[in-house]
Amino acid sequence: MKKTIYLVFALIIMLPFSAFAVDGTKLLQEIDRNLSPESYESYRKLINIEPDGRKKEFTLFTVKKGLDKVASVFLAPASEKGRSTLRLGDNMWLHIPNVGKPIRITSLQSVVGGVFNNADILQLDYAAEYDVLAVKEEGGEYLLLLKAKSKSVAYDQLKIRADKAKRLPAKIECLTETGMLIKTLYFKNVKDFGGGIVRPAVIETDSPLYKGYKSVMIMVQIKKRMLKDEVFSLTFMPNLESLR
Amino acid sequence: MKRFGLIFLALLVSAMPSATKAEENYTFDLSEIEKKPYHFSGYIEAKPVLYGLNSNSAFYQLRFFDDPNRQALPEANGRVRLEGSYEKSIFRVFARLNTDLQYNDYAHGSEQTTFYEAHASAKPMPAVTIDVGKKTLKWGKGYAWNPVAFADRPKDPDDPEQAMEGYIVATADLIRSFDGPLTIVSFSPVLFPVYDHINSNFGQNNKLNTAGRLYFLFYDTDIDVMFMTGGSRPDRYGFDFSRNITTNLEIHGEYAWIQNTQKTVLDATGAAKAVEGQAHTFLIGLRYLTSFDLTAITEFYHNSAGFDRDDMQNFYSLVSRSFDAYQTTGDQTGLERAAQLADSGYARPNAMRNYLYIRLSQKEPFDILYFTPALTCMINTDDSSANVMPEFLYTGVTNLELRFRAGVMIGGQNTEFGEKQNDYRIELRAGYYF
Repeated sequence: MKKTIYLVFALIIMLPFSAFAVDGTKLLQEIDRNLSPESYESYRKLINIEPDGRKKEFTLFTVKKGLDKVASVFLAPASEKGRSTLRLGDNMWLHIPNVGKPIRITSLQSVVGGVFNNADILQLDYAAEYDVLAVKEEGGEYLLLLKAKSKSVAYDQLKIRADKAKRLPAKIECLTETGMLIKTLYFKNVKDFGGGIVRPAVIETDSPLYKGYKSVMIMVQIKKRMLKDEVFSLTFMPNLESLR
Repeated sequence: MKRFGLIFLALLVSAMPSATKAEENYTFDLSEIEKKPYHFSGYIEAKPVLYGLNSNSAFYQLRFFDDPNRQALPEANGRVRLEGSYEKSIFRVFARLNTDLQYNDYAHGSEQTTFYEAHASAKPMPAVTIDVGKKTLKWGKGYAWNPVAFADRPKDPDDPEQAMEGYIVATADLIRSFDGPLTIVSFSPVLFPVYDHINSNFGQNNKLNTAGRLYFLFYDTDIDVMFMTGGSRPDRYGFDFSRNITTNLEIHGEYAWIQNTQKTVLDATGAAKAVEGQAHTFLIGLRYLTSFDLTAITEFYHNSAGFDRDDMQNFYSLVSRSFDAYQTTGDQTGLERAAQLADSGYARPNAMRNYLYIRLSQKEPFDILYFTPALTCMINTDDSSANVMPEFLYTGVTNLELRFRAGVMIGGQNTEFGEKQNDYRIELRAGYYF
């Protein structure tokens, strides 16, 4: 009964996405590649902004390889420095230097607090985690409706509004299985990072679950880099900063 | 060259009409990402504690035998931890120095400065790291206990996230990755010397012990197999595992088998006898995150080499008789013997056989960012006594961590937590990272 209700609900959501004008999967893969090379290194800053304007900032060095390997290490503030996170597919770990050993964490938790959760921070390609259910063209934009490939993905559904010409996302709504909005990501300030990477430098997010709070991710540097698979392992986590 | 690149990038960012600055007023100090060969950081902590004492308990009588009516003990604690590293080519040296300060009006002041870690590393390739020096290895998957942490000091189950002092070792990490269900294999061999001035408090001296850990990520499950042998301590073997069952549920466990453990037990008259035997120690645990951000950690721990209720009751009786003898005759001999027995195992945390650990922490309730209240219960399931610890943690100010915590001992006479020296404790910990 529950499944039928979800199916009907999904069909209702899909109604406006009447026809496949383009190959949705190919379009999603293009969006992924425009956001980042398949394997790269990057520097990012995360800012949590409270309703009264107070901010808390984190700086991260991140490396990614292929479809399912991402690792990050915190460079600032001092209280977080050296903390590292690793994602291999659906598996995620956090290594805190004082505590020593990596502990498993889940995609819905957040190592930084605020609106971004671990899945947002250790983002894989959208095409790796989601199937395209429908694509709709609306003026200068594509509207993509995505469905998670498995239950282990943080958000069951995504609605992506992407710029038609640049094939870059402008806004992504993250929804539960029942269609409840968890958070909205706003992609802003498209910038040339060199090496053919032109992508939004700022991702803002807000959530009806955190009224008045906002989190921002600023991409400072991103460039292609191919690393060995061994780097993406629990054993290597304490040494991630040596890759800089 | 790298520095010029960064300066150029900084100029570029400041010159460009970057919306990150112009529109949104987001700024980025590029010095934050500039890599320097050296690193220096630190942590400073102040922790006032108030102990509400239980003058009828065994451990009170053992420690405060010459002050039998004390109700409370205020204590001031301080900690300074400094760490630094220097990196050149494939080599790196790292040191972490810890100083603990303590003052109370009974024992007066104490200061202890120790290198928690001090080691040199070489990383000839990403898959190979070699470390020599003082280092914590931190084996195991458990949160409150780690029976398989053969080459580490036991952690404090009341505060398991505290930094710990390591041992002097030579170790390596060799990593290999694969395609398929077996994703990662790594092997960490360890040479663990125990001599007069090297790790001398670990066990029998003049031994070069060997240990090792083999790690697999197999079908999305972390699996470790480990051993330690060499004579300083009885040979031991173990394994652990950890796996995410769903996006919000993790299961973990550890098992250790130790040959020929020894402990001293007492009979009802207080006569001591050495008991030898094998020890089987295990824990099984869960970590669960609810939809409303409550994290629950629960672990069950069993140590077959722990003391049973009779052993502990005989020890408490010995302390009581010795205390009475001191009160009437002034003879401290019995208390001194009891203190030796306490040091040999009766006073160690979780000295009995079966424990249940439950920790519930609620992230940011009522939308208060960086505020985490938690409740921790350590339950001795052999004698049904418990230590219940509510706490409030606030991390809203960058680099400052404030934690208020209380601990209430629940248990009657002849129970583990009922015989602790205090009925309750209240502490405030203010820690600053720099």
